[in-house]
Amino acid sequence: MQIRFEKKLEPSRKMLFATPILAVILTMILGAIVFSILGYDGLGAVREIFLTPLTNSLKWQDLAVKAAPLIIIGVGLSIGYRANVWNIGAEGQYIAGGLAATGMALLTHNMSGWYLLPLMGIAGMLGGMAWVFLPALLRTKLKVNEILTSLMLTYVAIQLLNYLIFGPWKSPTSFGQPQTVLFNDWQILPYIIKGTIVQAGAPIAVLIAIMAWLIMSKSVFGFQVRTVGSAPNAARYGGFSENKTIWLVLLISGGLAGLAGMLEVAGPFNRMVPQFPAGYGFTAIIVAFLGRLHPIGVLIAGVVLAITFVGGEVAQTTIGLPNAAVGLFQAMMLFLLLAGDVLVRYNIKIIRARRA
Amino acid sequence: MNNEQGLRLELDGIVKAFPGVLANDDISFSIKKGEIHALLGENGAGKSTLVKMIYGIMKPDEGTIAWNGKPMNIVNPKAARALGIGMVFQHFSLFEAMTVLENIALGMDEKMSKKALEEKVVNIMQKYGLSLNPKRIVSTLGVGERQRIEIVRALLLNPKLLIMDEPTSVLTPQEVAQLFNVLRQLSSDGCSILYISHKLDEIKELCDSATILRGGKVVATCDPKKETAKTMAAMMIGTSLQAINKVKSKELLEIGFSVNNLSLKGGGDFGVSLKDISFDVYRGEILGIAGVAGNGQNELQLVLSGEIVLKDKAKISMNNIEIGNMSAKERRKHGLCAVPEERHGHAAVPEFSLNDNAILTARNRQNMVRAGMINANIAKQFTTKIIDEFNVMTTGHGASASSLSGGNLQKFIMGREILQVPDVLVVSQPTWGVDAGAASAIHQALIDLAKGGAAIVIISQDLDELLELCDSLAIINEGTLSQKQKVGVMSIEEIGLLMGGVHGEAKPSSSEVGHEGIANAN
Repeated sequence: MQIRFEKKLEPSRKMLFATPILAVILTMILGAIVFSILGYDGLGAVREIFLTPLTNSLKWQDLAVKAAPLIIIGVGLSIGYRANVWNIGAEGQYIAGGLAATGMALLTHNMSGWYLLPLMGIAGMLGGMAWVFLPALLRTKLKVNEILTSLMLTYVAIQLLNYLIFGPWKSPTSFGQPQTVLFNDWQILPYIIKGTIVQAGAPIAVLIAIMAWLIMSKSVFGFQVRTVGSAPNAARYGGFSENKTIWLVLLISGGLAGLAGMLEVAGPFNRMVPQFPAGYGFTAIIVAFLGRLHPIGVLIAGVVLAITFVGGEVAQTTIGLPNAAVGLFQAMMLFLLLAGDVLVRYNIKIIRARRA
Repeated sequence: MNNEQGLRLELDGIVKAFPGVLANDDISFSIKKGEIHALLGENGAGKSTLVKMIYGIMKPDEGTIAWNGKPMNIVNPKAARALGIGMVFQHFSLFEAMTVLENIALGMDEKMSKKALEEKVVNIMQKYGLSLNPKRIVSTLGVGERQRIEIVRALLLNPKLLIMDEPTSVLTPQEVAQLFNVLRQLSSDGCSILYISHKLDEIKELCDSATILRGGKVVATCDPKKETAKTMAAMMIGTSLQAINKVKSKELLEIGFSVNNLSLKGGGDFGVSLKDISFDVYRGEILGIAGVAGNGQNELQLVLSGEIVLKDKAKISMNNIEIGNMSAKERRKHGLCAVPEERHGHAAVPEFSLNDNAILTARNRQNMVRAGMINANIAKQFTTKIIDEFNVMTTGHGASASSLSGGNLQKFIMGREILQVPDVLVVSQPTWGVDAGAASAIHQALIDLAKGGAAIVIISQDLDELLELCDSLAIINEGTLSQKQKVGVMSIEEIGLLMGGVHGEAKPSSSEVGHEGIANAN
């Protein structure tokens, strides 16, 4: 017996919009079943992870804090994925951006002025871009697959982070803790809502998503990215260079991941610490897909994934769910989404084996 | 010869239709035992369709196939092989990482021990002088040696009829000579051979008789030994079509587009090397580039359109501006538009709307872009204009390109380029797969564009189309372009010979016009 996938001529548009929602609902149902079998309160786990963050207004600010980096990174990745460029090392670019911003902060530690944060932002973006430089070069010059190179560089970034905070950047006043000094007041993101923990990262994320939407739908660059992703030969015929496009989308996704790193280090952390790599770069891959590679979709998907992060923490304390449960839910969501996509785009035919 | 032994294969009234095309129209001919029979025709004449039916890959709509005098229904290739019909395809199906013997074993219908098979293989090789080491890994073999594997595969079945599809297109002259020896020996052993080719010299040398197809019909059956390459070429291409005298009032004085000693190394992404190509196209002139597929047409199209950018800008120029080093986008801004052969994924993005497909090439020339942003209104207007003026059957400018039929999409693509009023237009296969009505509309639009002063290059395998449309003609063969000549001056035979790669034989009939330039020929 053989199973064959035949591409549908025109996938249903309704289903393309419906699959992300279906994937989330199915994740809840399957998650409840799986955790019940594992001996936890399955329904409770789903309620705590998916609903409590929404119903409990105290958690809303947590959502904003967690969603911001996911959205910023996810928007960058979705632009690259549109062009068929598969940067999955955003975590490394996020760390590199955070490190570059930290470096800038340490360099300017005894200065003051409004310009310090923009400087750190630029440093963060450049750091993220530096981390895609090698994958972009290898891809465009030698056709080396960027999936592997970008992923592998993530581990290099983690090692670099550890080296720096255990070594040259270690704060002299931290009693041996591997962390940098606290940034000065000019180097910390302002709070935008008084009395909350919501900092400038959240509005920046929304702004970036809207700008990306405009650019992708209205500009020649957005058109170029879509063309290169859909039909490279037609792109070349239309006068678009594939290599230039690869460079641009990698630099954008790297730069945005780096910016997210800067916003994290100058925001919630205020210093560089070993806990800095929180997996945002990997989760943002799910965000990009769940958002259908559309900037506004990514904005929504970023909030959905933030819910699972915040809810995961809730579930840990209330019903003792292990930390890994969140990862499981997220992975299930991506898996179901991709599987749903296959069903929407392909007809599946089962063919009986022909006798030779 | 061998008349008394009877017929091996008889085809009677074979008809095969595809949507929009009658690929085989009432084809009848027969092959005698031990005869080497040529099946001759241009691309699209219906050769492959016919052969696929003999080998059981397709079924005829009408007509009968008789084998050794008995009508047969050949349901699949396995049934064909069981009858004793073997086939060597133009494209080999071999596993690179496996040995010769393993590849042969994989293709066998019946199971056989490795030892017995090896013995059989070695016997066949010795008998026919096919030198090949069965233990060699395929990836280390050359093209000629790979073809020998396929031949051995076919011979293992003891075929009574061997079909060879364009076997020499990839071989060196020496390998061709070896192949011919094998085929002659097979023929003397009583195996019939159906030899598909458009290479006239080879057919004269090898074949006992020839059936010539044109437009899905048998136009002649002849003895190639008694014919000349010229007369066969005339039959293959058809002299029924008169070179058309277009009413022209144009002055061909100003060079609009010119290519100078252009060479491009093949290999890698580009299959065929282009060798020292030069030509001029005057404003208002339509130059046709004829040739058999795979002789460098695609590469030439890419170089001319700017999809392959050259280092030396002087190799190509238009309106006296050197553009060789310009990208496709810059060339378009200067007024050079192009249409590649492949519609889906090259000339158009299938999943994009017609609107977006218009933006793809017309965004700059139609002023759709301001400060990096696309003006959707202008794009919509231009798309609607293409749809209206070229009668594109579609639900509207928002329909996806993949929802259009091939002919309609081609009309849209041609309209998109022609309505940009280019100074130079380079087109491959402008009416490939397009119905007659749409084709003539496209032809008229091209002629009108030329009348307006554009220099047009049409690269096509459809010689009838070129003769009808073009003012002058050049022939591309293995990456070399012949001297351009006025249509009507070059005889059909000469064109056919150049297409078949026979150079320098056919001079006498037309030598007096060889040096006449197009400018003073008016």
